[in-house]
Formats: sequence, C-alpha cells, structure tokens
Amino acid sequence: MERQVKSGKMVVRYVAILHLQTVFLLGIETLAVLGHAPTSEAPRQGPHFTSCLSREQETFRCWWSTGSFQNLSQPGALRVFFLKENSISRNWTECPDYTRSVPNECFFNKTYTSIWTSYCVQLRSGAQNVTYDERCFSVENIVHPDPPIGLNWTLLNVSRSGLHFDIMARWEPPPSADVKTGWMTLVYEVHYRERNSSRWEVLDLEIGTQQSIFGLHTNKEYEVRVRCKMRTFRNFGDFSESIFVHVSQIPSKESTFPVTLVFIFGAIAVAILLILVIFSQQQRLMVILLPPVPAPKIKGIDPELLKKGKLDELSSILSSHPIYKPEMFHEDPWVEFIELDLDGMEAGEKMGCSDTQRLLGVGAQLGSSHGLGVKDDDSGRASCYEPELPEADPDTLAAICLAQHEKGATSLLPQSNLSATTAGGTPPDPDPAPIRDPIPCPTHRPESRPLVQTQLSTHSWINMDFYAQVSDVTPTGGVMLSPSQQSRVTEKIPVEKKEGQDAQVPEKENVGEQQKKAEGKKRFQLLIVTPEEGAYTSEVDAQKVSSGYSHEKSCEDSIPQTIQPPAKKISQEACQQLGGPTGDYQSPYLLPPPIPVPPVSDYTVVQDVDAQHSLLLNPTTTVTATPAPTPTPTLTKPSPAMAVGYLSPDLLGNLPL
Amino acid sequence: CVLHCWSLFVLLLMCLDLHTLVESAPICAHGHTGCHSPTLSDLFDRVIQHSARMHGLSSDLHSDFEQYFLPSRNQIGRINRKCHTAYILTPNGKENAQRLAREELTEVILKLLAAWRDPLSQFHRSMARHEDFTSISGNKALEMSDMVHQLKNGVEKVAEKMQLLGMISNSLMSLSSTEALAPHSASSEARSMSDYELLYCFRRDSNKVQNYLKILKCRIVAEHGC
Repeated sequence: MERQVKSGKMVVRYVAILHLQTVFLLGIETLAVLGHAPTSEAPRQGPHFTSCLSREQETFRCWWSTGSFQNLSQPGALRVFFLKENSISRNWTECPDYTRSVPNECFFNKTYTSIWTSYCVQLRSGAQNVTYDERCFSVENIVHPDPPIGLNWTLLNVSRSGLHFDIMARWEPPPSADVKTGWMTLVYEVHYRERNSSRWEVLDLEIGTQQSIFGLHTNKEYEVRVRCKMRTFRNFGDFSESIFVHVSQIPSKESTFPVTLVFIFGAIAVAILLILVIFSQQQRLMVILLPPVPAPKIKGIDPELLKKGKLDELSSILSSHPIYKPEMFHEDPWVEFIELDLDGMEAGEKMGCSDTQRLLGVGAQLGSSHGLGVKDDDSGRASCYEPELPEADPDTLAAICLAQHEKGATSLLPQSNLSATTAGGTPPDPDPAPIRDPIPCPTHRPESRPLVQTQLSTHSWINMDFYAQVSDVTPTGGVMLSPSQQSRVTEKIPVEKKEGQDAQVPEKENVGEQQKKAEGKKRFQLLIVTPEEGAYTSEVDAQKVSSGYSHEKSCEDSIPQTIQPPAKKISQEACQQLGGPTGDYQSPYLLPPPIPVPPVSDYTVVQDVDAQHSLLLNPTTTVTATPAPTPTPTLTKPSPAMAVGYLSPDLLGNLPL
Repeated sequence: CVLHCWSLFVLLLMCLDLHTLVESAPICAHGHTGCHSPTLSDLFDRVIQHSARMHGLSSDLHSDFEQYFLPSRNQIGRINRKCHTAYILTPNGKENAQRLAREELTEVILKLLAAWRDPLSQFHRSMARHEDFTSISGNKALEMSDMVHQLKNGVEKVAEKMQLLGMISNSLMSLSSTEALAPHSASSEARSMSDYELLYCFRRDSNKVQNYLKILKCRIVAEHGC
C-alpha cells in the first residue's frame, strides 16, 4: 500500500516534470516563432533537430531543419551547441564540424564523441539568444547501424513436387560497424515478400550472417532484404538493397522419380527373396553355418545313467557298446585273470592261446604247470590274437575262424604230421595272416568258410578262439564249459577232417595247406585239452599239451601282416603283457580236449548278456550272423559278455569302454 | 623422531601447495594430467557471454521500467543525474579503451563490477517490495544481481589466468583494495538513486563492461581482425 502510494507519487512527479518540460519547450518555441516569423495558420514549427544518430558508435551527426523559418536557411543562422555530461566546464560548446556538403548537419568526430556519456545539443539562433531545440541523448542509444552488404541467396532444395523451394540468404555486416573486435554486436532481420505483395514477411532476429527461407513457391518472384541493429538496443538501421529470388519449376525431375522407385522395389524384392530362401532352407543353412557341436558323450550311453549311477543298466549298455578300447579292453580283463598265474599266462600266450583259452584258463594252467621253461621260450610264442577285433568284419572273422579251425582240425588228425612239422621248424606261413590271428583270416580260402560254418553249426569250438560252449555260470562269475566237449569233439573230428579235405580242392595249395594245417595244429595244441573229468584238466594232460607243443611262434612272428599296423603293437603288447594268471577266478574252466582229439563239440556263440548276467546263447548263428551292427567282431560280443559276468563292480570302473 | 620430522615436513609442503592452489583457485590444478584447463580464449568467451546476458537483462528491465513509468523518453535529459560509478574513470571510446593498458582495463572492469554488487541487491529487494512490477521483472532483477557477482568472479579468474600467463603484470590490485578505493559517497549516492536511475546507470555500466571485455579479449587473445 505504501509502495503503491510511493510509486503513484513518482508517476505524478514524472508526469509533472514532463508537463513542465513540454510547456517550457513550447514556450520557447512560441517565443522563437514570435520572435522570428509571423504567425500563420499552418502548424508553425521552428528550427528543430530532425535526428541525431551514430552509425558505428564512434561518431555521430545531428541534422536540423529550419522549419518554416525560411530566413534561417543561410549558413550561420542557426548554431548548434552541445554539452557533455562529464565535461569539466559546464559550457556549451559549439558544433565542432558543420558539414559543408550537407546542409544543416553537425558532425561530431571521434574526439568529440564519448560513448556512455550524456550529450545535450541545442539549436540556437545565430545570435545565441534563442534556443530553438534541445536534445539529450547517449551516443549508444542513437546508434543506427548501416545496412548489411553483399546480400545474395542460394537454393537449398526444391520439394519433390517441384512446387516449393527453400533458399539460404547470406549477407555481410556493414563495413562501418566494427564487429570483429566486438565493439558492436549486430543482429539482423530479414524481410521477404512476393513481388506484387505489399506485406513483408518478417523473420526472427538472426545473430549470424545467414538466414534460410522456407516454403517459397516456384514460378514466383520474391523480394528479400535485410537490416540490422545493435543487439541490446532498439534502433534498426536502414534496409539493404533488395534482391529478387525466382526459381522456375523443373518438370524433368519426375523422370528420375520412377527410376528410383524401380530401384527401391527391386531391392525390396531381392530382400524378400533372400528372406524366403533363408527361411525355406533354414535347417540346411543352420547346419552349414552353425554345425552342431557334438556334446562330449559316449555313443549310446545316456549321461543321465551315469549321473544316476545305475551300474547295472550302464554295464548292460556298455556291453553292447561298440566303442571301447580294444587293446585296453583285452588287456585289463585278461590281465585280471592272468595276474594270478603270471608265468602260466605268459606261456599260454606264447603258445598262442586265444582269448577263449585265456578266459578258460588254459594258458594259465598250462603255464603254471610248465613253469618258466615255456615262458622263456620266445620262439614258442604263438601268434597273439589281434586285439583289434572290433575292426574286423564278421567275414574276416569267419575266415579266421575257419582257417583256424581248419588248421586245427587238420592238424589234429595226423599227429605224426604234426610232430614232423613241428620238428621241421617253423614253416613259413604262406598265409597272409597267421592262423593265430583271428582277424585276418586267410581270405584266399573262401571255400573254407562253409567248413567253418558247418563246424560252427556243429558247435565245434575248440579251434575257434572266440567261442566256447558255456554250460553254466557259477555264482562267482565263472563260466563252466560243457563237459561233453571231448566226446563231441571226437565225433566231429572225422567230419572236420573230411570237410577240411573237401575244402582242399585246389591241389596246388595242398602243400601250403598242409603246412598251414600243421601250423594250425601246433598252434592249437595247447588249446585241446580233454576235460575228462568234466571240468578239470590234469597236469598230465597239460604237460602233454605243452610237450607236444615244442615249436612255437614268437609273438612277433605270429603277428600277421595285418591290415592294421597299430594292431601289431597292441597284439605284441597283449602278448607280452600277458602275465599274471587269473588267479582270482575260482571257477574251474573246462579246457579243450587234448590235441589228438579233434574237438567236435557243439559250441554256442554267446550273443549277449542280459541284465541278470545270464548268457544269451545263439546256437544257430553263424559268424556272419553275429550281430553286426557294431563294427566290432563277434569276438567282442562274447568277451564283454563274459567279462561283464566276471567283473566285479569295482572292476567295472576299470572297464575301458 | 627423524621419521616424524620428515612426515611433518612433507605435510607442511603439501599444505602449502594446497594453500596456493586454493588461493589461485584455477579450474584445474597445476600439473594435473588429463585435466583440460580451459584456455584463456574460452574463459574470455564465457565471460563475454555472461556480460552480454547481463547487459540484455538490464536493458530489458530498463525498457520495462520506461514503458511503465515514462512513455516519452527522449524528452528528458539525464544530464543532471550522475551514476554513482562516475568516480571510476572509464574509457569513453573504442580508441581510448584500446589505448588503455591491459591491467588498467581489467581493473576498470573489476571496479565497475564491484561497485554494482550492493546497489543491485538493494534494487532487487526494492523490486520485490514493489507490487506493481510483475514477477518476471522481479526474477530478472534477482538474476541480474546474481549475474554481477558471478561475472566479477569470472573476470577475476580471467585476470588470474592472464597474470599466470604473463600477459599482464602483477600490478593488478587485489579485490579488496579495489573495493576499498571506492569513495564512501558512492555507496550513499547509490542508495539515494531511484530505481529508474539505477537501472539506467546499470544498463550503461553493463554495456561498458561488455565492450571492455571484448576489447580486452581482442587484445590479449590476438584473434584475426583485432
């Protein structure tokens, strides 16, 4: 309330001052008028300042007009005096420079111009007795910059339709204004209008020296001009000269329109095609680009089983599993057996015992009975069975079996021959593969295959290294072989012999065959042990076997020229490592009948071991009929089956599969 | 004991360093790596921008005041009334300003800014009491008084930097002495001024400050065209 009163008072005060001043001036003017000219009806106006302005804030000028006082037009009739605010002497000084070229102009140069200083100029008569007009100002407030120069325009773009266009107008600041040092900061205002229009379009103040104008119509002429002022002040300078903008419509633009459209559509179509192709061939592409990484696993074994720890299922699976380390497989379980009878097994190995024999403990018994003599005899080492049984196909196995059997059969009968051949040293084995080697059966004797098959069918297992007729499985895991082996073998001998002879149709091979047979005989000597007592063999028999078997092939010799070179080593190792008789096994093993007795007993190929560890025998199967889904030969089938039966759970872990 | 003495000595040194750092108060500590200390040109630009804004504000306020209180402006001469900063000798032209020594010019600027701190806060308070004025104007007044303070600090920093770079001698008077030199009458005169007069004077002085800064920058940074 008080404030309002105070401000009201101020207003009143100011208004009063204003009135006084106007009255004063009017009074002066009337006096002047009265003093100089007769009164007239027309609005009489004495000499007065028309304007005072500065162009660059460094100098300024004042113009006056005589008004209706015509007699004052001569120079010197009117004089200008000025007073600066800070002048020491409060004297009115006359205009420093009356411009000659321009009438009624007073020019204040730099020395007389003080910025931020109040000036008062007075228009006096020549005699200085009359003051016609007075003005007070500060120079910075009367600055009107010069118009910008160099106004021109450039085309920014034309609309797609070709009806509108945009331009960029550019100009330069007035040269008189010192913008570089920053003495004057200018802002610009652009106007434009259509040629025939009377109204100017005003754009916003622009600090820079360019301005873009949008939305102009083609085929129309435009006029553009610009002016400037000091940034924080109000006085605009003059306008620059106008420029004219005209852009004619270009119809040819449309010709490029469809071309670009065509390109765009083409690209889209190609992209769609690609996407379709990718989606249709997604599977294949996925396989190609991102081949599935096989998780580390054993084929056929579900890792879940391992996690659950179901050893029974696992063992059954493993038994049927093709992938395993044959050499290790062969070694470890046999080693377990062999451990107890180190010497014996070595001897047995040297004598060329097959896996079956090893399993049955033939070699072990033999070895143990014969002692070290046999063991040290390197020459007596028979060919070791190739552990690379998995790689052999059933055919080769069949051939092997056949050859072995044949040889065994032939060798069995003529004992004299046997002794002769054994005495004669080791005849060279013309066979590409030694008989001992189960894998590379003498494939050049295909005719012997039916012999094998028949023999197999007749269950003669003696000379077949892989097969043994198992009559029973003991609780401890021992396999009991059929006690009727000998009789059957005996029966079968002539049959075999005959068949073997039948097989020897090609007479040219007689000699070789004889030799082979002899070899086979001697190799099979150890195998044939008569289980007269049913389950056990006597030492006498064992000695017989061992004595009869004077000539043995070394492990190295026995190693056939197999197709699989690494097998050699393994077989060698198997041969050499064969030590440690299987002392664990307590079950008695049926040994094969003695040498002169050809084994004719039936044999059964163990197909599989079921969950209860019972052997699944398949008496009618042939070698070829052995389950061949696995790449491993049938030898592996019974062996793991039997092995599983003998393996204790803690040994299962050692099972190299 | 030796260890203690040594540690104390090191601490003392550090304290001294910190003290000097604090006193000089640069934007980045000396010798700091990876710290981008603004160049003198940048500092000048900032300060000039600030002064331009300040001048714009003062001009707006002044014109508002004029419209409100005085419809016709050219009729009234302000020759009788002096601004309270009249005691500060300021160059009144471009050449004068260019001829003036850098140190003196800087000093003038600082003096001007120092002289306006109190009157502006006073003005703001009086503006707040005015019920006639709109809140916008009141905000402007407040902003203006803050700006003066900030601008003074900015110019001080610029001066320090210039001294650091050896562009001006160290004869620049400290701030306290600058303010101390102000005659006592100036402050009393400021208090007696009306709001309009205050605005008028401040508008003029802010324009002075802006232009002086520009001239100073041109001279010191030595850009093309200066």
